[in-house]
Amino acid sequence: MLEIKSLTKSYGDVLALDHFSLELKKGEVLGLLGPNGAGKTTLISILAGSLRDFTGGVSFLGKDLFSDRSLKNRMGIVPQDMAFYEELNAADNLLFWGGLYDVPRADLKKRAAEILEMVELSGRSKEPVKNFSGGMKRRLNTAIGLLHKPDLLLLDEPTVGIDVQAKVSILDLIRKVGAAGTGVIFTTHQLAEVEDTCSRIAIMDRGRILAQGTLVELIRLVGEKDIVEITGEFAAAAFSEALVDLDGDGVELLSASDNQAALAVSDTDRIPKILDRLFRRKLAVTDLKIKTPNLEAVFLKLTGRSLRD
Amino acid sequence: MTMKTLKRILHIAGNDLRIMVSDKVYFFWSLAFPVLFIVLFGLLYKGGGNGPAVAELTVVNRDQGRWGAYFLEKVKSPGVEIKAVDEEPEAYNRLLVLPADFSAKIEARAAQSLALKKREDASTEAAARVEARLFQAIARVISELVLYGEGDLLKFWDGHPEFRELVRVKTRFPENTVTVVPGGFDHSIPGATVQFIMMMVMIYGGVTVMEDRKKGVMGRMLFSPLSTGGLFQAKLLGRWAMGMIQALILFVVGKVFFKLDLGNVRLSLLVIAVFALAMAALSVFIGSLVGKEDLIIGLAVLLANVFAALGGCWWPIEVVPAGVRQAGMISPAYWAMDALHKLRFFQGDFAAILPHLGVLLGLSAVLSGLAARYFKIRD
Ligand SMILES: Nc1ncnc2c1ncn2[C@@H]1O[C@H](COP(=O)(O)OP(=O)(O)OP(=O)(O)O)[C@@H](O)[C@H]1O
Ligand SMILES: [Mg+2]
Repeated sequence: MLEIKSLTKSYGDVLALDHFSLELKKGEVLGLLGPNGAGKTTLISILAGSLRDFTGGVSFLGKDLFSDRSLKNRMGIVPQDMAFYEELNAADNLLFWGGLYDVPRADLKKRAAEILEMVELSGRSKEPVKNFSGGMKRRLNTAIGLLHKPDLLLLDEPTVGIDVQAKVSILDLIRKVGAAGTGVIFTTHQLAEVEDTCSRIAIMDRGRILAQGTLVELIRLVGEKDIVEITGEFAAAAFSEALVDLDGDGVELLSASDNQAALAVSDTDRIPKILDRLFRRKLAVTDLKIKTPNLEAVFLKLTGRSLRD
Repeated sequence: MTMKTLKRILHIAGNDLRIMVSDKVYFFWSLAFPVLFIVLFGLLYKGGGNGPAVAELTVVNRDQGRWGAYFLEKVKSPGVEIKAVDEEPEAYNRLLVLPADFSAKIEARAAQSLALKKREDASTEAAARVEARLFQAIARVISELVLYGEGDLLKFWDGHPEFRELVRVKTRFPENTVTVVPGGFDHSIPGATVQFIMMMVMIYGGVTVMEDRKKGVMGRMLFSPLSTGGLFQAKLLGRWAMGMIQALILFVVGKVFFKLDLGNVRLSLLVIAVFALAMAALSVFIGSLVGKEDLIIGLAVLLANVFAALGGCWWPIEVVPAGVRQAGMISPAYWAMDALHKLRFFQGDFAAILPHLGVLLGLSAVLSGLAARYFKIRD
């Protein structure tokens, strides 16, 4: 349904997208996971038609996305900012935004009522949006993108800065939309979100996709290893150096920054050895956590960076 | 343009209007405040009554015959007070000199001219009253001559056309402005309308273009099949309609409460429509260039009031000295107000306001071009 081929976009010297390619099928929910500056918003903006001067191509429903304006009727986009009219109530916002698409007015009204129900705003649909809480606004922001029943829904960090209840409600909505046959791409920093919402996960950094697959497939990348997170007082370089002779011996350094590091270990019995090396170098350890393999470990392994909270 | 595009443009423009009129303070600004201006300037520059109650006329009667004094008797009236002097004084408001051969010429039935002089800054309105009175007096003297002379007035006119031209009064007032000084509510309502179109369109129109950009609302609209050009047209149309609504509010209020007479409703609306288009373009331009609400409001209030004052929205431009009047031409409001005055006070027709329409259309084209060139959708 959607085929992104070798998209490249730079801002001056910054390469925001670097030959980025991706495919998406009908009904697939893809979580696009990447740290700050990975290029997520850049990708969404290009697909939304609001960024120019890039190379590469995108085909959508078998046509060139950028040469057929009517294809925009088939696409729903939820921007990172809350972009709607605070002065209007939720129902009127939906009717306004939906009215920009080629949807018959009667269908639009019916659809607006349905969507309000889906995002649990029916009860307050006649209230000016400016009285809404952050979570309610996010839900409305998301609902607007869905009004014209798009075949593809793009969401840029739909869950940023909201309470747990609203987050659950939005992720729920994304799942439902996918189950109903709409292809979804949503970007996020939050591992937990993609773990139980997506049918496929792509990890991107510096404008490229580093790995993609189902959760199980991705976790297999770290192997049957446990993850050890160490917090203390040390410099990144000193930490790496202290463990250099353990490398390959069942210990893999995933990331090391000042006072914080992560390792993958084949067995927890490696831990005493690790601590021994650190103590010998007088590197203080204040905390140590052992985790079973998860997406976070994959992410650390692939990017050497942890995600922003 | 396809129907779908047109539909989207109307949809966006309609939504802008709806948000504007549902703002509670909107009616204060668009109705209560302008009505204050209407009443204030309507009373300050009352139509047909801004001259002194009694117009003084200084007269030097050098006539050696009897007709001069007789003529002056006829000029006397409750509204005109004659001040007889022997020599032409240095200071006067209005001055009439009857020449030595005034009677001789009348008796010889020879044509003659009288000069009515007016001090430059004396009331034009009073001068007009004096002038009208002089014409009346001339007519009376002539008719009396005729009655005593030949008997039948109507027939006499047919046979003696030269009598019509017996005495001519020469004045120095600019043509067309002698008898009418625009004033009253027929002046102050269009004045407030033009002023508040500028203010409301620039404030509401400019601020919302700026806010819609900052909030990402305009950017989001382009996720739909709408083009950038379509969005620009929608914003322009919405702001034009804001101006037209402002005009309609004040015209209806004017008609109902102040017996407003525009002279020619259709042509007046045409003038307003073209003027509103120029202001709509200006508001989109300002909204694209300026990023702060306070700044837009400040700029709008400043521009609207300076343009209003210069352009003759407050006091009729006809009462200001010629130089100031000329300077007023830099104000878009001047062209709208002058056209409206022509329609209402000077029997102007379409041809009379064509130059004004041309200037306003040209201004609209230039401002639309600038607004389109600098139209900013995202920050
Ligand atoms: N308008 C711009 N001008 C210059 N550089 C930009 C601009 N927008 C983005 N960038 C750069 O492009 C890169 C990708 O940015 P982008 O916003 O796509 O990242 P992101 O994955 O959305 O990050 P975040 O998680 O912080 O939202 C970054 O290095 C960023 O600094
Ligand atoms: Mg982003």
